[in-house]
Amino acid sequence: MVPLDGLGIIPERDAGRPPILDIRHLCVDFGGLRAVDDFTLLIGRTEIAGLIGPNGAGKTTVFNLLTNVYKPTQGRILLNGQDTRGKSMHQLNRLGIARTFQNIRLFAGMSVEDNVKVAMNHGYTDGVLTDMFRLPGWWRTERRQHVRALELLDLFNLAGKANALAGNLPYGDQRRLEIVRALASEPKLLLLDEPAAGMNPSETHELMDNIRMLRDEFGIAIMLIEHDMNLVMGICEGIAVLNYGKIIAKGTPREIQTNPVVIEAYLGEEAGHDA
Amino acid sequence: MNGYKQIPVYLRYLINTLLLGAFLLGGNALLASGAVNRAQSAVILQIGIYILLAVSLNVATGYLGQLPLGHAGFMAVGGYGAALLWKAMPRSAGAIVLGLLLGGLVAAVFGVVIGVPALRLKGDYLAIITLGFGEIIRVLIINLPGITGGTPGLMNIPKHSSFLVVYTTVILSCALIHTLMKSRHGRAILAIRENEIAAESSGVNTTFYKVLAFTVSAFFAGVAGALYAGYTGILTPGNFTFMTSVNILVMVVLGGLGSMAGSVIAATILTALPLALQSFNKYRMVIYALLLIAVMIFKPSGLLGRYDFSLTRILEKLINGQLFARAKKAGEDRA
Amino acid sequence: MLFLSQCINGLQLGSIYALVALGYSMVYGIIRLLNFAHGDVIMIGAYIALLTIGAGLHPALAVGITILGCVLISVLIEKVAYRPLRSAPRISLLITAIGVSLLLQNLVQLFFTADSRAYPSTAIIPARAIQLGGLSLSLSTVVTILVSVGAMLGLHLLIQKTRMGKAMRAVSEDTGAAQLMGIDINRVISITFAIGSALAGVGSVLYCCRYSVANPTMGSLLGLKAFVAAVLGGIGSIPGAVVGGFAIGFAEVLVTALGFSAWTDAVVFAVLIVVLLVKPTGLLGRGVAEKV
Repeated sequence: MVPLDGLGIIPERDAGRPPILDIRHLCVDFGGLRAVDDFTLLIGRTEIAGLIGPNGAGKTTVFNLLTNVYKPTQGRILLNGQDTRGKSMHQLNRLGIARTFQNIRLFAGMSVEDNVKVAMNHGYTDGVLTDMFRLPGWWRTERRQHVRALELLDLFNLAGKANALAGNLPYGDQRRLEIVRALASEPKLLLLDEPAAGMNPSETHELMDNIRMLRDEFGIAIMLIEHDMNLVMGICEGIAVLNYGKIIAKGTPREIQTNPVVIEAYLGEEAGHDA
Repeated sequence: MNGYKQIPVYLRYLINTLLLGAFLLGGNALLASGAVNRAQSAVILQIGIYILLAVSLNVATGYLGQLPLGHAGFMAVGGYGAALLWKAMPRSAGAIVLGLLLGGLVAAVFGVVIGVPALRLKGDYLAIITLGFGEIIRVLIINLPGITGGTPGLMNIPKHSSFLVVYTTVILSCALIHTLMKSRHGRAILAIRENEIAAESSGVNTTFYKVLAFTVSAFFAGVAGALYAGYTGILTPGNFTFMTSVNILVMVVLGGLGSMAGSVIAATILTALPLALQSFNKYRMVIYALLLIAVMIFKPSGLLGRYDFSLTRILEKLINGQLFARAKKAGEDRA
Repeated sequence: MLFLSQCINGLQLGSIYALVALGYSMVYGIIRLLNFAHGDVIMIGAYIALLTIGAGLHPALAVGITILGCVLISVLIEKVAYRPLRSAPRISLLITAIGVSLLLQNLVQLFFTADSRAYPSTAIIPARAIQLGGLSLSLSTVVTILVSVGAMLGLHLLIQKTRMGKAMRAVSEDTGAAQLMGIDINRVISITFAIGSALAGVGSVLYCCRYSVANPTMGSLLGLKAFVAAVLGGIGSIPGAVVGGFAIGFAEVLVTALGFSAWTDAVVFAVLIVVLLVKPTGLLGRGVAEKV
């Protein structure tokens, strides 16, 4: 990891290129309460970054700010060099950001394959009438989407369940399907909100391999929120620790593990919550 | 799935086309032969019109998950649009097609004009705005007698809605709605119903697709309105009240939100029943009201849930000898 | 002078709309439901008054029974039809509300026919004129305005000053959190329906005294307009409902005074659409973000 502009660190291999995500002094207030305060972070082009912190620290709020679910009170976000202010959620997706949700948000009543295809709804030119009358454009799109969807599902061993209803999948598969769906929109930055929640240790281990594989195969950056410290310390290159909406530490897994402020924040939480 | 025999695409299309063609010609011959009396053939035409109304409302309610309450308004503008054109043109196949298209287009224009402001907003505003729209249309029809004939109605509309015209239109419309829903655009619409935030963050332009679904719904309501005009020969503002919209909604809800087959069956039953049982009429609205409440509380998915009928699927199962063995499971999976 | 009397006319109509709009807004604020049946509860109230006064009861007692009847039927509707659907998709709840509205209308139609009936307005508020300056006002106008304003002030005090009011505000803010704090959600929702429909009962009496007729579908249009008033003011907002009610009342009186009475309903909805375009949350409402 190497420092950049004195604002953060990014992996050495990404040093020659501008960061995929450049967040400066982000703040958001909810009814007088500052939920995120002066959040500044850089993420490299192919970095796996972790965002950790006690419950209620504001981690998901940061994701919601990044995807314009909430409007920041102050500060700015550059995604791939472009200011995200005023963009709608789907425009941001087109700029290269895709996410999963802490509380799974699949299209439960649609098939697994269709879930993935929904996120591929760009780069095709077949119009509504073309599709209604099943002109050649419709056949081409359907074929391409079908092939691509199965390829992506296969990465997470879901191709065999392509015709099942998403809502009927077991929990772990639902989490994986959300990742595949996010991937299908061809993001440059993938946000994963507690991807290992509810998974057993062997599933988590497999997930770690998969996340590395995504970074290597697709050359994308991944930012994840996770409570499973084995996963975070195992795959993240840069980690930011959030407490009461503020970043209290940034660094490599080794630096974070030995940082007294972080230990204090976590111990305080564990004492309070008996966790 | 290995070894499961499938019917080739061209054969599927051929089978479906032949069957529907046989239905159209057979029905036409039956009506022409006089085996069906006047009252019965009137019921048959009404059923076709209500099928299209229910199937079109299902696009906005079942597929998109919104609740427009002014479907009768779209039916009205389509009906008056087509009627005025037909009154001005000599009878010809071209005039009939033109009138049906015009009815649909007029309704679609209204759909865009109402849909754009209403669908930008989150929440139940579409219900209110469409309800208001339905009322405004009625007030306009009453107060512009020069064009619409006012309260007494628009009379002497050429009766173009024969069995062949009605059912060809209905079948074509249903087919087009079906193909739309089985495309990337249709999947985007369904995704909005399933989870709007996830759809939006997966890159679906939700406003565009909401307006699209709403406009398609309005278009086919307009076509149905045109058929209605050509069936009754007279249009009055009383044909297009809030109760008409509710009638159509009952069909969609009862059939199953999101099931075209359900809409078709419910529209058929609910149109034929009051005409068949005159005594039923007195209690009809009370029963409809109870049905709406009971369905929502006890079986929100309606009669058929989201099941959609596919002849090919049944044939394929027959070929593979699994019709009964796996019918239930497959129905659940694909519904 | 004509202008002033039209203003008072608008004030009278507006205060009735405001009373009814409050019921819509309170219910929406607490369970996010557009309660389509609210207008029909008013219609039920009209028929109760008709029957009780017809049976020779003292008008004050009849009015009391009317209000009580409206309260009971609303609470019953909530318990039977809406409560089982509290966690269901919003569209199911909305469709159920439409079903309840249809049911009330058609049951009344079944028992009392669809014909309009003369409402005994003068038995409740005697037809008497009051001279105020150079202005001659009917007693019913004065009573309507005074009673409505009184009811609204009472509601305001109830919501701001009592424990129950605090609980209602809490449930409306965050149902889950309120429940965790030990608030009995079901009770709060029942009471909200009760208060809303008590206001509707009062509104019913005042409305019928103004127009002197009752019929099974009278609730739809009144309800619709009050509902537009609630949305106009900002649905879920109590002061908004009052402001919206008066705005619709004045708009209607104005359009009629200008000689376009056939267009009033269209104008009311046009106003709604314009407001939603310009300020989607209504005049005094605030947006609610969905939790992600």
